[in-house]
Amino acid sequence: MSLIFALSPLIVVTVGALLLMLAEAFSKNKEGLAVGSTMVLTAGGAFAGAVWMKGFEGADVESLAPWLIIDRFSLFFFMLLCLGGALATLLAGGYLPEHRLDRGEFYSLLLFTTLGAMILSAAGDLLTVFLGLETMSLGAYCMTAFRRASVRSAEGALKYFLLGSFAAAIMLYGFALLYGITGTTSLVGISKAMRAGASHGPGAIFALILVLVGLIFKVSGVPFHMWTPDAYEGAPTPATTYMSVAVKSGGFAMMLRVLITAFGDPQSMSWGSGWPPALALVAVLTMTVANLTAGQQESVKRMLAYSSIAHAGYLLVGVVAIMRAHEQATASVLFYLLTYTVSTAGAFGALILCGRRGAEAVSLEDLAGIGKRHPAAALPFALFLLSLAGVPPTAGFFGKWFIFRAAMDSGFYWLTIIAFINSVIGAYYYLRVLVFMYMREPAAGAPVATPMRSGYVSTALLVSAVLVLALGLCPSTSLDVAVQAATGLGG
Amino acid sequence: MLVTYAPMFLMLFVAAAVSGLFFLGASTLGTKNPTPEKMTPYECGSESSGGNHLKLSVKFYLTAILFVVFDIEAVFIYPWAIRFRQLGWLGLEEMFGFLAVVVVALIYVWRKGALEWES
Repeated sequence: MSLIFALSPLIVVTVGALLLMLAEAFSKNKEGLAVGSTMVLTAGGAFAGAVWMKGFEGADVESLAPWLIIDRFSLFFFMLLCLGGALATLLAGGYLPEHRLDRGEFYSLLLFTTLGAMILSAAGDLLTVFLGLETMSLGAYCMTAFRRASVRSAEGALKYFLLGSFAAAIMLYGFALLYGITGTTSLVGISKAMRAGASHGPGAIFALILVLVGLIFKVSGVPFHMWTPDAYEGAPTPATTYMSVAVKSGGFAMMLRVLITAFGDPQSMSWGSGWPPALALVAVLTMTVANLTAGQQESVKRMLAYSSIAHAGYLLVGVVAIMRAHEQATASVLFYLLTYTVSTAGAFGALILCGRRGAEAVSLEDLAGIGKRHPAAALPFALFLLSLAGVPPTAGFFGKWFIFRAAMDSGFYWLTIIAFINSVIGAYYYLRVLVFMYMREPAAGAPVATPMRSGYVSTALLVSAVLVLALGLCPSTSLDVAVQAATGLGG
Repeated sequence: MLVTYAPMFLMLFVAAAVSGLFFLGASTLGTKNPTPEKMTPYECGSESSGGNHLKLSVKFYLTAILFVVFDIEAVFIYPWAIRFRQLGWLGLEEMFGFLAVVVVALIYVWRKGALEWES
């Protein structure tokens, strides 16, 4: 019984997704699907919270190892992924009917993708890592291509699918090499073999490089980011929200678990011969390239796509700092993911709210003057953009603060300075949207964007706004949760 | 350690040599009398009906994917059936859970009309 309790978040989402699939097949009424899907994800998150509160000491979770590891780290990600998924579902509930995309399979895809991401965050074996990764990715490819009549949607999905398959295949080569070197697929077993001396061979370095390619691809770090702007722009906006929120969190869960558990030995985690210098270079490239490109975008959606790449760069700074300040840096990455989830979901939600059927708000020009005409839509947008830019007292400020402090405490001053300069550059393009919203008037004869009305989108915005402010005003509780989650993850 | 694999490599070598020899012998020793009839691609003995680069209905892909899904199911059931007694109640529960998932998928594709060829 207690084992079922420990697994309840996964079971709830699985059963809920299957039931919702049947409901969609038998019912003509599509209205309730968004509510049902949100309820399933909320229940999944609530069960994860219950397991967190009650503890799982007597639950015999070791019998699942190494396939699934139920610890505070995976429970944290269960809650985070369910939160991100629920917000994206609410946005879909408003967006899909408005833009005549109301086909019920979107919700099933989203739920199964979330399940894949949850499995990924709890995976303790290369096989379950790959299983979770593919379950997560396949649903994300389908959601990208959801706008079937649109060429851009198909283009983005095809790019995402092909590059994603290549990255997965390259990572599989790495896994195969790791298995060949260490003789085991369990992450803990690999770590033991690495500590016993397997990490000194050339094969281990090669395997590490191949695995890193797959990991960096999934979190869209430069130079493996090429698919991101096209996929994010082509996908319907709720799918974009979901990809930049939940799929990215799943990617970081996998990265932390694999790097810390399997490659956590002193040799692989050293500055001289391990992954930290490679990841530091990728972090610098990711932040710089994404921030410089984002400032040149005319499409707000594409700008937000580049912004999500830039945020992956800040997160990678935190991952590099794990090398010297294990718990503090891991906790800062987890906390950043939380603040990033609520801010990004909110920003995309506000963008959805600013558009209507046939007149989706896409470019900066579309948003011109909306602050005066429709303050109710512009105000939350401004809040989320400020949070993404890292302005106090919003959640984004403390997210960046903790990452930078972890990097400083572990002696990476140069990395912190580069990240800081980048967040100043980043502020430029976020504030540019504010300038358009509040200080420009639409050009004469240009189509004027009018906001849609949707209870779903408003609810999602309200929840995100409350969380953005709550995390910004009193971050200590959630930081404490993140620290506890980080403590469970050991090498 | 590599010595353990020596018979395997020997076998591979012999197989490659024998089949290579057959091909070589057939192409050098055999008499050739090509006619247009002989040069057409072989399609189960019937007349070939055009090139192979043509658009196929998406229904074929759907059927192929469904086949893969239920083929995998059979692959899983088979070893489970062999070890049924050793796996006990836990094995039965697990297999019923797995089957329930696949049955839901079957009901879904049936309701969605994916099993109807004419439509």
